[in-house]
Amino acid sequence: MTTQISAMSEIWLAAHADPVANIHTFQSCMTLSNVYGQTNHQCVIADNGDLSWPPKLKVYNGTSLSYDGNIVETPTAIISFHVDTTEPRIPAIALAAGPYIYVYKNIRPYFKFTVPSLEINQLEQDLWNQAKADKIDVQMLHDMLESVRSDSDAVPLTPLSTKFLQTAPHQRSHFVSVYRENPLKRQTVITALETLKKSHPDDDAISCLIIGTENKDMYILDPEAFTVLVKQSLPSQPVFLRSTGLYDVDYRILVACRNGNVLVMKKGANSPKFCITLNSHPIGIERIGKNIVIATMDKNLLCYNNKIKNLWSIPMPSNITCLASMDFKAKTFKGVLVGMDNNEIRLYRDKFLVDTMTVTDTPAMMQFGKYDREDSTLIVITKSGGLYIFILKRNVDLSAGQASASVGPSPKQFQKLNVPRKTKTFVDQTLREREHGVAMHRQFQHDLYRLRLTTARNFAEALQKKMMPISNSNFAPLKLSANVQGIGPMFRLTIEVMNTSTNHPIMGAYVVLVTNDTLYVLEKSYISLPLLVPSLTYTVNTMVRCTSDQGITDSINVFVYIKGKCSPVLTAIIDMPASESMIVV
Amino acid sequence: MALVEKQLDPLFLARSYLRRRKFDSCVEICSKMLEKNPYDQCAWFMKAKALTEQVYVDEVEADTDGIAEMLMDDNSIAQVARPGTSFKKPGTSGQGTSTSQGIRPMSQSGRPVSGFVRPSTQSGRPGTMEQAIKTPRTAHTARPVTSASGRFVRLGTASMLSEPDGPFINPSQLNLAKYADRPGLNKVLFDYLFYHENDIKNSLELAALATQSSKYEDWWWKQQLGKCYYRLGLYRDAEKQFQSALKQQPTVDNYLYLAKVFVKLDQPLAALDLFEKGMEVFPGEVSLIIGSARVHEGLGDLDSSVKFYKKVFQYDASSVEAIACIGTHNFYSDMPEIALRSFRRLLQMGVVNTELYNNIGLCCFYAQQYDMSLTCFERAINLANKENVADVWYNIGHIAVGLGDSNLAYQAFQMALISDNNHAEAYNNLAVLEMRKGKVEQARAYFLSAITINQELYEAHYNLAILSEGQGDLNTSFKEVRKSLEAFAEHVDSKNLLAQLRQYFTLL
Repeated sequence: MTTQISAMSEIWLAAHADPVANIHTFQSCMTLSNVYGQTNHQCVIADNGDLSWPPKLKVYNGTSLSYDGNIVETPTAIISFHVDTTEPRIPAIALAAGPYIYVYKNIRPYFKFTVPSLEINQLEQDLWNQAKADKIDVQMLHDMLESVRSDSDAVPLTPLSTKFLQTAPHQRSHFVSVYRENPLKRQTVITALETLKKSHPDDDAISCLIIGTENKDMYILDPEAFTVLVKQSLPSQPVFLRSTGLYDVDYRILVACRNGNVLVMKKGANSPKFCITLNSHPIGIERIGKNIVIATMDKNLLCYNNKIKNLWSIPMPSNITCLASMDFKAKTFKGVLVGMDNNEIRLYRDKFLVDTMTVTDTPAMMQFGKYDREDSTLIVITKSGGLYIFILKRNVDLSAGQASASVGPSPKQFQKLNVPRKTKTFVDQTLREREHGVAMHRQFQHDLYRLRLTTARNFAEALQKKMMPISNSNFAPLKLSANVQGIGPMFRLTIEVMNTSTNHPIMGAYVVLVTNDTLYVLEKSYISLPLLVPSLTYTVNTMVRCTSDQGITDSINVFVYIKGKCSPVLTAIIDMPASESMIVV
Repeated sequence: MALVEKQLDPLFLARSYLRRRKFDSCVEICSKMLEKNPYDQCAWFMKAKALTEQVYVDEVEADTDGIAEMLMDDNSIAQVARPGTSFKKPGTSGQGTSTSQGIRPMSQSGRPVSGFVRPSTQSGRPGTMEQAIKTPRTAHTARPVTSASGRFVRLGTASMLSEPDGPFINPSQLNLAKYADRPGLNKVLFDYLFYHENDIKNSLELAALATQSSKYEDWWWKQQLGKCYYRLGLYRDAEKQFQSALKQQPTVDNYLYLAKVFVKLDQPLAALDLFEKGMEVFPGEVSLIIGSARVHEGLGDLDSSVKFYKKVFQYDASSVEAIACIGTHNFYSDMPEIALRSFRRLLQMGVVNTELYNNIGLCCFYAQQYDMSLTCFERAINLANKENVADVWYNIGHIAVGLGDSNLAYQAFQMALISDNNHAEAYNNLAVLEMRKGKVEQARAYFLSAITINQELYEAHYNLAILSEGQGDLNTSFKEVRKSLEAFAEHVDSKNLLAQLRQYFTLL
């Protein structure tokens, strides 16, 4: 299997490749965890599914798929954390889908948490109550809800009301009679998930869940009781959350928002601190030691320190598709992995490129961590759904690249430009120019006047005969192009007419074809054109049959007329190609 | 004079006519002799020879790619050839080509323009069926269905028309086996069948029989077999025959035929090797050197091509093709004064046509010899015919742009379009003029026409991208600039525009 991978890397060993694993999901929907509580770790993936199969929860163990179960809704994130202190230590898996968090233990459903539902518009509630009591009719309900919806300051409508407003008029009364008993509910959707250690920094200590929602809220949940510990509203929708510290002591939460802002939330703060405004949308955000590394959609990798000062930014050669942190504890190496759509995965330590690996397809998501019994494994899932597993070589030297940062001007400055030398002839000619400058100038001016005259004469003649393929006249600015397709004896003559004016449609245009009757038989010699709307190309065509097999050719004249004018607006003369004789097969 | 001719022996007179290439008179006399004595072998020989010579086209040069050959090409080995090993991907040769598209314009098929028009230089292989059947507007470049029909059939039928009392030799009634054994007659009969009757099947049979009767020792017959196979499209068989003939007797045309087979099989490197070998055997053979230069040009390796053309000069200082190609190369290498010398030499050699005057005019203008430039263009226009007048007008338009006379430029580009409705470059330049006048919609329409006519024209794509960007239509701009880079990957302005557009798109 390993031969299929074109990983030209010094530091990675290709361990497993499954190009047809068929996994389609996002960066946040993969986690590495010992879900069965054993020593070996598994890879848990929440698969988005496709039109043909539902969303699935997949667990990879070693090189095989050990669990494959359906889930109800499209997942948005998955994360592994400890909820209790029982032995053996088995972590739970939190899967966010829609407004719910499904918690699994041992890959069995354990608990379901629902994000607190949102406030409901009081007026809307009253309206439905009245509808329930048959105090208002359906039309009234519709009109009132419509007015609530158009009020931009009001609390938004529930999905039920929105659905009602969308239904066709004749189905509304039926809709109300069916659904009016349902309680009104407005729910949001989870957008991001993160964990935060509660009181101990150990690997297997209990963690709180942090949830970001579409409604611009962030919640911190108690891991044992699943109650909301902290609720914080944000200025925009959170898309990535990263946390450090302990909930009970002190913590910071980095929130990357959909509008390109990055916020920091500290313990005890009333509101998040607004800190970074990105030039572009974030693709990923990682905390590497004390620094924050952000990948953005304008192909940049940015680094900020704890004080939110921009340390460096590196432009990437291609669009970034995913970002993952790499914490290699054995060598205390902390780096960041960047996947790009030119199929490269680059490893950076600070701003120094350590390694570049090329995979067969665009990496869509990746994660570095413990998998199976190997401590440092990289799992890459490609855009086409392939699963690739790489193992970090044991004796790897990750210090490369640190010293190679070049200084001084770029070597391109010293390249010589390929400018041809001036030849001897050229020098001789300049001598002549110097001596006879005045005469040459006079001659040139004389010739130029003649040329202008010749051109103007030809042009005037062409204008008079309307031989132009383009007309600039004010009443009919048209463009004509014609071409002949075919090899004979049947040809297809395609005529394209375009109105080049900005806003005047042209009516009553027609095409007339004239040719030598003895040589060509035209299917149509008069084609009327529809109303010509500006900037659209109108194509008409006709068949032409060549009656001669002697290889004689002639031309076809195409005229475009406007009704009521006796002279054509445009003319094109098409020289017909020589016809092939009939081939009897 | 006529009296003297009457007194001469008719056979002698016929021979004399044949030698003086007065074929009609020769055929007339031979026909009379054959009426008297149908078994007169001498007269029969001469009549066959004369008729052949009338329609003779050098087989080495005659080559047309038909639609069938191009679209249903089952001979090429790799569909996606490595760079520099195929004619299908011009401009990808391994060596750094000095001329970029920005300097040397491309023909419609995306190949750098050559200084010399010859079969299959202008027409690349079309990508789609539609491109293949879309006949260019002018008759002289119409593509035949297959090379087996097309022009060759027309030659055959033309000769039939000229003979009111039926064909001279009826191939279907010939006893080919009998003729194959007669060394005196079989070669002329073959030539007659091959060139005059264009009856490849019978020619092949005759050649096969004659090869047998010569106990496979006559290289001439092997060469003829190869020619027949080539015409029938059996290139691998043709290759075998030519190889065998070459082993027996290296001749120049054997090398040329074999190279032609390699070119047909899209193996330019094999062809180059062969030319190299041929030049060792026949040092100073101009046709071999020119062949090599052509293959290099086909691969887009213009530096090597020019090297070979220069070598031609050592042996043949009046080779029109070499002079024209070197002139063109010099012109596009920013040395118009040297190019001017080449073209002037052609003029001195007696080549007088529109293209030449046009080129001299351009060279004069760019070499700052203004007093002669415009006169040459005037002559070019006077000499021009329907097919090439558009290009002359187009170049006048360029000169006018150089002079800053936009009115003259406008008229000249319009004239180019009047003469050739499908002149994509003229549409493009006209559009730029319109754009400068502020007539944006008009300009857009012209750019679109230029693009429809010639997909490879990166300038039109780029200009349309600039126009759309100016109007805020970034989506169109992005699409067009991508197409421009597809046609010309190194275009710096397009790259800059693309980078700018990307920045717009990713910016919040």
